[in-house]
Amino acid sequence: MSSTVFRKHLTDNRRGFLGWALAITAVAAMYSSMWPVLGRNSSLSSAINSFPTAMRDAFHLQDYGTAAGYFGSTVFGLLVPILLAVFAVAAGTKSIAGDEEAGTLDLVLAHPVRRVRLAAARWLAVLAAIVLVGVVLLLVELAIRVPAEFTTISTANLAAMTFQLVLFGCCFASIAFGIGAYTGRRLYAVVGGAYATVASYLCDSFLPQINGLHWVQAISPFSWYLGGDPLRNGIQWTHCALLAGLSLCCAAVGIRGFDRRDVAQGG
Amino acid sequence: MTDIAVETAGLAKRYGNARTGKTALVGLDLTVERGEVFGFLGPNGAGKTTTIRLLLDLIRPTSGTVRVLGADPRDNAQLRGRIGYLAGDFRIDGRQTGREALTYLGDLRGGVPAARTAELAERLDLDLTRRISTLSKGNRQKVGVVQAFMHAPELLILDEPTSGLDPFLQQRFVELVQEASANGQTVFLSSHVMSEVQQTCRRVGVIRDGELVTVADVEQLRQSAHRKVEIAFAERVGAEVFEALPGLQNTVVTDTPDGASVLRAILTGSPDALLKAAARFEVTSLLAEEPELEEIFFTFYEHGSTGNGSKEFAA
Repeated sequence: MSSTVFRKHLTDNRRGFLGWALAITAVAAMYSSMWPVLGRNSSLSSAINSFPTAMRDAFHLQDYGTAAGYFGSTVFGLLVPILLAVFAVAAGTKSIAGDEEAGTLDLVLAHPVRRVRLAAARWLAVLAAIVLVGVVLLLVELAIRVPAEFTTISTANLAAMTFQLVLFGCCFASIAFGIGAYTGRRLYAVVGGAYATVASYLCDSFLPQINGLHWVQAISPFSWYLGGDPLRNGIQWTHCALLAGLSLCCAAVGIRGFDRRDVAQGG
Repeated sequence: MTDIAVETAGLAKRYGNARTGKTALVGLDLTVERGEVFGFLGPNGAGKTTTIRLLLDLIRPTSGTVRVLGADPRDNAQLRGRIGYLAGDFRIDGRQTGREALTYLGDLRGGVPAARTAELAERLDLDLTRRISTLSKGNRQKVGVVQAFMHAPELLILDEPTSGLDPFLQQRFVELVQEASANGQTVFLSSHVMSEVQQTCRRVGVIRDGELVTVADVEQLRQSAHRKVEIAFAERVGAEVFEALPGLQNTVVTDTPDGASVLRAILTGSPDALLKAAARFEVTSLLAEEPELEEIFFTFYEHGSTGNGSKEFAA
């Protein structure tokens, strides 16, 4: 029964999910293919090195001249995770709250499906879509690794980075899903997910530069995702556990709330 | 196996918090027997949809109890497998074809033979190969009719099911309900279409402002209803003769220029006393209107009368 819901959620949304996977991968591939031009550009490197340390720290620009440094600040540093977070929040919101506000959730819930199972199956379907993004992205990065001259990053470390990216996406999908399932309100889920994304980015980049606020980095999913430099050091298991743990908590709270509350009729 | 299909006791539902909330149901006591077609009538906002959503466990009661087919609906997926539900504004994801939608919903029920859905679609003249977003409101509603009936559920819960259907399809729908009833299935039908209620329901419940106003036998209701009577006499008669009669209201006697007179009044119940009083005079014509079921319910809707509709009639 749950697998029916899981499959249906994926097939119903296949166009959107594939579209996002291709778009995010295209952005990543574009940045990656610029590495030979930008990374080897010594005047750009020296210009960046002349930036204030705080600013370089904020943008992860400590080490622009190496492939791992370049990828950490550009490809995996900002645009790709933010795009993935946007997709994750949208997909997480839509799975329960969006469906409920559209008024189409009533019909399914009038069928012999337990609410907990329905919500869990849809949550897993959203996670599967994020895994799909990660897989497509990793395959393309591996394919252009030699032509775009970033072989100094090992395949294993590239896979590790992508794995953490997927967990990062799952985390924001679960936050939006959880808020949406708990409240039934699309707006709360989108706004909550967006705030969480921005706050998590700020806690990793700018806020730690302020004296006495360095500790906020430790509670930022963005930092769990990128900190410890997976492109050089491989998988950071503690960070992965934190990302997975937060995802599970948000989903569990959301599903529990969904199971207990009234379902709205939709507008 | 109990012989009660739906039973609510003191069922109350309040939405929102104590300050801004609104009460949709204030203690509903309702019993629907197995195998009957029960009409559930009331003006918009009376609490019909709230009641139905409580039966399906889409919302939970503030107080009171609900039993559906002998079970508590709370978290009872197995029970929902025995129910077919159709909302008046049937809404479904439009990005799929009718067949895809029905296959999915059938799978959620553990599978429904494709031949059965095809047969229902055929009868309703519904094209299952088209994407639902390209269908008209009426055709979309047909998808809803098929999904509610396709697994031949023990209990059909239909919330203003024919809104958007043309008269021909309303008639088809009535046939489906009659068949279900002949099959021993129970039907809980909320409706505004009196012809549909008249053709299918034996008993009706009227709800107003979140309370059950009356439960009545459709035929009895018609018997006891108000009807307009008009009797023309060849001579002048006094109004006082008729004003004293029981069951007669708004009695007016008008004299005509040619020395005759006409009595107009509202009659409730048996016409016997009126006829015996009129028989003393020469009657030139007699007219008694058949009461419209619709009008009967308007009296309930507007005044919330109790009993069998014999409360004072507002002119």
